[in-house]
Parts: sequence; C-alpha cells; structure tokens
Amino acid sequence: MIIEGRELTFKHNIPVTSFERYWKGLENGKVYGTVCKSCGEKFYPPQPDCSNCYSSDVEWVEITGEGVVECFTEQHSFPAGFEFLNESYIIAVARFGDFKVVGWSRDKIDVGDRVSMETDRDETGVWKVYFRRV
Amino acid sequence: MRVGVVGVGCTKFGVHEKTIQELAFDAVKEALEDANLSKDDIDISVVGTSNTRGYELMPAVPINEYCGFAGKGPIRVEAACATGSAAFYTAYSSIISGMADIAIAIGVEKMTELNTPTSLAVGGRSGSYLWEFHQYGTTFPGYYAMHASAHMKKYGTTPEQLAMVAVKNHRNASKNPKAHFPKEITLEKAVSSRYVAYPLKLFDCCPISDGASAAILASDKKIKELGLEAVYVDGIGFSSDSANLTRREDYAGLKATAESAKMAYRKANIENPVKSLDVACLHDCFTIAEIMAYEDLGFCKKGEGGKFVEEGRSDFGGDLPVNTFGGLKAKGHPLGATGLAMIYEVVKQLREEAGELQVDLENYKALIHNIGGTGHFGWVFILGV
Repeated sequence: MIIEGRELTFKHNIPVTSFERYWKGLENGKVYGTVCKSCGEKFYPPQPDCSNCYSSDVEWVEITGEGVVECFTEQHSFPAGFEFLNESYIIAVARFGDFKVVGWSRDKIDVGDRVSMETDRDETGVWKVYFRRV
Repeated sequence: MRVGVVGVGCTKFGVHEKTIQELAFDAVKEALEDANLSKDDIDISVVGTSNTRGYELMPAVPINEYCGFAGKGPIRVEAACATGSAAFYTAYSSIISGMADIAIAIGVEKMTELNTPTSLAVGGRSGSYLWEFHQYGTTFPGYYAMHASAHMKKYGTTPEQLAMVAVKNHRNASKNPKAHFPKEITLEKAVSSRYVAYPLKLFDCCPISDGASAAILASDKKIKELGLEAVYVDGIGFSSDSANLTRREDYAGLKATAESAKMAYRKANIENPVKSLDVACLHDCFTIAEIMAYEDLGFCKKGEGGKFVEEGRSDFGGDLPVNTFGGLKAKGHPLGATGLAMIYEVVKQLREEAGELQVDLENYKALIHNIGGTGHFGWVFILGV
C-alpha cells in the first residue's frame, strides 16, 4: 500500500548580488567572465573570489567572438521545471579563447563546430546564452 | 594495522514498497548473519545515503534506530552516486584511527518515491545548479551524453560499442536474482532504442532503483580474536573534479578516475591492473562511463575503450571480467547503495561464493571504481585475500 506524503515546495530565493553584473549583462546581450587581478586565473561562470590565490580583486571581462563546441547533448526528456519545452533541446559547452561557456544551441551542432553567442530569455523569463553555428 | 571486510549484505535492487529504514534493515541483517556477528558487536555505524528523492529528509537516525544501532553513530555521509564508497571509507577510517574495532557502513537509497520528471530535475542538479540546471535544464543522462559526444568524436567510439556494454552487463544480470533487470537484451534492441539524451539511448542508461547494501569492517586484531573470515582492503584512492562543466580540461574521460586509480594502485603496489586483478566493478551508470573507465583506470590505452568491450576483454573469460553481477546498468543504481553493492560483489567473488557468476581467481585481487556525479567524486578500492 502507498500513501501520499504532505506536499512540500522549495522555491529558493537565490542571492546573486556579487555577480549581478553577469545577469544584467545577459539582458544587454553581453556574457561576462571574471579574471583574477592577482594571479590571472579565469572564471566562467564568473565569481567574485579567486579559488586559486584567494584574492577577491577580480576584473569583469566580456567574452566575445567565435567559439568551438567541445561537447553537447540533445535532450529528449524534460525535467520538472522545463515542461514549457515541447521539443528536444540542445545543451553544449563551447570554448571561447580561455573561457568555456555552457549554452543552448539554436542550430544542430557537432563537436568541433564553430559557434557564436547571443543572449535571450526562455518562456519562464530566465536569461541565458544561446549558440548559433557559424 | 589492516582492515578487513567481514560481512556483506545487499537487497534486490528495483522498485520496493518498503521504507528506507526497512530496506537498510534487510541489508544490515544479511551482513550481520554473513559475519556471524550480532548488532551489539558493532562500535559505530555510518549511513550513506544521498536521499535527495525520499520522503524522509534526514534518514540516518531513523535508519540507525530501526537497525538497533541507537547510541553508535550514526555518521551520515553523502557523495552523490559514490555515497556508498564514502561510507566505506568513513567506516575504514574509524577503525584505522583506533576509534572503533568493528564498524558498519550502510548504503541505501529510495529513488522511486518521486515521478520521473521530478527525479530528472533532482539528478540534473548534480553539477552547479545556478549555472547549469537553472539556466539550461541539464539532466544526469545529459551530463554523461556530453562526455559521450566528446569521446565518440575524438576516438570514433560507436553506438554499437556503447550498446555492447549494455548487452554484456544485462547478460551478467540475467544470472543475478538481485538485479533490477535480470534479463538479457540483444544488441539490436539496445541500438534501436529511443534517445534519452543524444547520443545516449534508453539502453545506455541505468534504471531508477531502490536498494540497500551494507558492509561490516573490522581491525585485523579483532578478526584474529574472533576468528572471522576477511577480505582485506589493500589500497584506497580518492579524487574529485570541478562542479562546473566549464571548468573541466577535457570531456573524453574523467580525471577523478585517473587520479583516484593512481593513488590506489600505488598503495596496493599494482603496476599492471589487467594482469594483477581478477575482477573489477566499474561505475557504469551509462554505457559510456564503463568505456571511459577502462581507459582512465589503465585497462587499455586512451581511446581504445570501445574496442576493449568489442573484443570481449571485459567479459567472462576475457582479460579482466567487469561488472560480473550486471553493473549499475542492469543490476541497478540506488545511489547510496551502489558503492557498497560493489563491495558485496567483490567479497562474494574473492570468497568464491558467486555461483554461476564466479570468475577464475589467480591473484585474489579485485578493483572497485565508484564515481559520484560525472567525476565530481572519485573512489577506487583494491581488495584482496
């Protein structure tokens, strides 16, 4: 016999204050990473602290140009929270110089393909990076 | 001091209409009987459960109470899919440190109390939530699929070679009554199954299972004093990697596997694993994971993992039989239980109690490779008698 548990909903309030610039950047078509001013370590996703030398003095840099796809998948099953998608979606990691970036691809892609970046929000209002094959 | 495994237990993996404490109890009972010990002989308990899907959010104490260990621990550990190994290491450490003479590691997971989309959304949070799941809806099959895309492109690994891992492990599981899917599948069926996350298909993926396993560990002094039969821990290696996919050097392998293997081989004086070992349990949550593990563990050269399975080298009668009880792929993968189910398997093999699935023993040495996430945690153990 199975009985139903009491419902419990988690909808977290996520603090993004220290990397607000990243989220604002997406709204303006820009994708930022951070570079440690002390040791030069590069971070994407951007972070206000350096995990390498423990400095908290970082520079925000815009990631631009063409990238190369290092890996990807086309998702055919939809996790809770993504029910709004009604067709398969492509997630990829592409290298832009010293930074690797995750994004959704608007075009069919393969490992080794060259891509450009743009930003947009999905149906739930979440901003993100989209790749286009070039 | 040496530490030995003196008793093991494992439930059938699958869908269980039992609470998490009842499942744990079944594995603990078998382990106590196997060791010929009573619950009062245990000095400390370690409960390994990821338990991001079960209704009992803090289950270590209810499990400990139900198993009669109140007052002895529990220490709760979590390392995603490698939780069982982290529990084993914690129990081992409690003995090596002199804090305990006999310790029990319990691994348990209830994964079927949620529906599949919710379960996918939980597993999809196993990287770095805000930068992966929140924005892009990553899933656990999706993470390994990305590694598969890199491996297939770089080395020419084929969908058929991936499917051969599934066919082998299902064949082994068909002789293991404790497996979630104790049935054979054909290569054609595996290759023609639907995509879950390209390039991975349904039969490239392990099922969502409930299950529990347990191992009782003791110091060599206690083993001698009580006249227990033991399989000894010869070497332990551990490592980990970045949470964010974007901070990985390469996707065609798992650095956490290579690093933990290096440490374990050094401690157990193993130079050529394929020659020195008789059997191995590898972390095959997805078929690509077993292929990458052959390479990262040094069973073959980088890029030759597909051939390794194709040539039958990881099958019974091959160079080194891998996942003789069916692996995560067909036996099932209840996260917290998996690492200790691997201990169960190699202990049965090294004691020559594996029945139809018994491998030939020459060196009486076995390897366990248990990964959490996609290389977010890495453990390798060498056991021997």
